[in-house]
Amino acid sequence: MREYTLLAIIFAAAIPVMDRIFRTGLMKNRLFYVFLAVIFFFKLLVNGYLTSRLIVIYNPAMFSGIRLGSIPLEDFLFGFSMVGFCLIVWEKAQNR
Amino acid sequence: MSEYMAVLLISLSLPLLLSFWPPLKFYRRFSAFTAAIGATLLVFGGWDVLAAARGHWSFRQEAVRPFRFLGLPLEEILFFVVIPFCCLFTWETLKYLERKFRKA
Repeated sequence: MREYTLLAIIFAAAIPVMDRIFRTGLMKNRLFYVFLAVIFFFKLLVNGYLTSRLIVIYNPAMFSGIRLGSIPLEDFLFGFSMVGFCLIVWEKAQNR
Repeated sequence: MSEYMAVLLISLSLPLLLSFWPPLKFYRRFSAFTAAIGATLLVFGGWDVLAAARGHWSFRQEAVRPFRFLGLPLEEILFFVVIPFCCLFTWETLKYLERKFRKA
């Protein structure tokens, strides 16, 4: 498996685990899925722009080669893990 | 201004402006902001440093300023501050809207 593909899968899979360990309950929260849908929309705009304008250029040897429009599939896993991670830390910091 | 910087400023503009909207009380949560954005910057910025060094992706020279830190343009580093902020803003706005609709 290509490096970016492997890293993206590991990070995305770590989010539900982290959510359980820190008891932040995001995966069981309906609002989290509404959040993901909203972020997905804006992600298409920003990530789509960055990739279609070749502001960020992906090495074909390092990812699956599958793209949604101009966005590599792995970027969706990267995005999910980043926003999931950020919300887990945020929720944990609020509930201390 | 670089093209990438313009993308970041446009992304940030509306969430930043609306975060001063009183019901969200965003300005009161400085320590939680520092924790969430700082941790995201470290972990995912760290991934980015590694990925850029391993050649997973690169940046078009004309779209970013020449400044580099650990191989990343300033714009790419700011991405890990701007986007988490936009996410926290979106999340708190959705929580606020849910509370409001439940009351109504």
